[in-house]
Amino acid sequence: MDLTKFEEDNSKSCRLASAIPEVCKTTDCCLGIDEAGRGPVLGPMVYGICFCPISMKKDLENLKVADSKTLSEDEREKLFAKLSEANSYIGWAIQILSPNSISTSMLQRAKYNLNAISHDTAIGLVQYALDCGVQLKEVFVDTVGPAEKYQEKLSKIFPGVDVTVKAKADALFPVVSAASICAKVARDRVVKSWKFIEDLDVDVEYGSGYPNDPKTKEWLAKYMDPVFGYPQFVRFSWSTAQSILDSKAVPVHWDDDEENGEKAAAKQNCQSVLSYFARKKSGDTKREPHRYFTERKLETVSSL
Amino acid sequence: MPPLSSKKRDRIESAINVPKRTSNEPIFLSLRHPKTDNVSLYLLSNEASEVFEVKAFNERYHSWFIGQSVQHDGRLLFLTRMDPVFLLLPYFSKFGKEGKFQPVEQVVVDEAFPGCIQLLKCSQTLQCLSHVTEKKEVGSQLFYRYNKDKTLTWLKKKVDNTVKALKNSNICVGDAVKSSTFIRSKRTTDIREEDYLRYAHGLVSEYISEDLSKDLLKYLQLPELSNATELEPPSKKRKLSDNPVEAGEDYTKFNNDDHKKKPTKKMTPAQKALAKVDKTGMKTLSAFFSPKSKI
Repeated sequence: MDLTKFEEDNSKSCRLASAIPEVCKTTDCCLGIDEAGRGPVLGPMVYGICFCPISMKKDLENLKVADSKTLSEDEREKLFAKLSEANSYIGWAIQILSPNSISTSMLQRAKYNLNAISHDTAIGLVQYALDCGVQLKEVFVDTVGPAEKYQEKLSKIFPGVDVTVKAKADALFPVVSAASICAKVARDRVVKSWKFIEDLDVDVEYGSGYPNDPKTKEWLAKYMDPVFGYPQFVRFSWSTAQSILDSKAVPVHWDDDEENGEKAAAKQNCQSVLSYFARKKSGDTKREPHRYFTERKLETVSSL
Repeated sequence: MPPLSSKKRDRIESAINVPKRTSNEPIFLSLRHPKTDNVSLYLLSNEASEVFEVKAFNERYHSWFIGQSVQHDGRLLFLTRMDPVFLLLPYFSKFGKEGKFQPVEQVVVDEAFPGCIQLLKCSQTLQCLSHVTEKKEVGSQLFYRYNKDKTLTWLKKKVDNTVKALKNSNICVGDAVKSSTFIRSKRTTDIREEDYLRYAHGLVSEYISEDLSKDLLKYLQLPELSNATELEPPSKKRKLSDNPVEAGEDYTKFNNDDHKKKPTKKMTPAQKALAKVDKTGMKTLSAFFSPKSKI
């Protein structure tokens, strides 16, 4: 797995893929989707797909791929090597969603939540396989959110493909296990050798990256900058990161903040509807600044 | 103007704190604002040749990154040239009521803002005073007296110049708010000359007292905008007169004879029955919809 494409610019999301086996373009195939790194506050979330001809499912099973969570890192690497060797009939593709792209999606004005990101990424990868000419007949997905709804959504988008969405699909279907191995291996490698584009002197003792890992907590507490917060390695949208920033960093106000933003200000300055119908008090002749200045937000200065 | 670096800021602060400097360095002055009477900041340029007012662009949720530091307020300061006569006018118009010719040193006196005397150093100032005052020379000394007519003539020229500037810089002066970046297929012709004049009057009024602003409005022959309250309908309900309420255009009037002769309407049997019912203690239907009286 060559990660240089992602490492060149790890602030963006990136797709990596194996070559498409010829046999997949001519025979009916099954495809598995799984993700790695959904929960951590650090590092990317990786989505993986793996596909092979339906007729060769047995061969895939013989590789003894299993749910990536039950395997050690070494075992996963070995299995990924096996999958790569079997490139005559097994293909894979991954989408690395950088922590920065997760943060910016979830924190932008029009909020884009993690489930929507997950769904769209999965859909994008299936579409990629179809675009590459893979003869997809079956798709197996580990669920995100309610399985039935997700299955309905995917079936609608990919008519003619038999979509199965199930919780714990990674343990039930070898092709999903294989996808989970691809995703997990990619995430492990990316996290291990994360290149901080910020000019920072940070140590790499950040543990697993999960919010409840004491090492991760310690690292987050240690490397918080009062103005900028964190390097792009951290998902700012995670409540773990946010609560530390709220309590320790310099407060930053955005005009779409719920509590202290424009909305709240509008509420405070907002006149009651009734006041528009009431008689204006005459005699209140304090001259307002001319609209030329108010429209341009210009004020007189009384001191520097 | 680029944001102030810390070095420049120090210089400004020192300029404020230490008023006595060699006379040819620019100095900041705290002066009485001619419109609001509040303290505001001005800059007297080096050699005291020109006066600048200080305006700040200040919008919520802005900050600066300056070099390696953060400035929490995103203000952008502008120093723009202004006519010093605006700043002196309040003093002259105040003494003008006495109608006496006086030397400037006796007119431009302000305990709250002693810096105002500095304005007289500005060579431009004394020349321009002739626009708003009459001058008398007794011996070697000059005496001035405020002249309202001259002032209004001078202000009208300011307004005219402002109108020109408004037109040149394509500033939207109409009632409706329009985006300056929105390009219309038709050239809008609905902006009247009066809108420009009124807008310019408003701008010039930012630099003069309220009384003068009203006088200028009359001088420009602009009708005062009718007060919004007068346009509003009376808030109290119209008193019912004994006469029946008639619509303004009531075509049934022409059938009046017929209309008047009509006997009281016949009641339906149900209504007749209802009329006989003892209604004491019953609420009218409308009572259920009226606001509840507080207990």
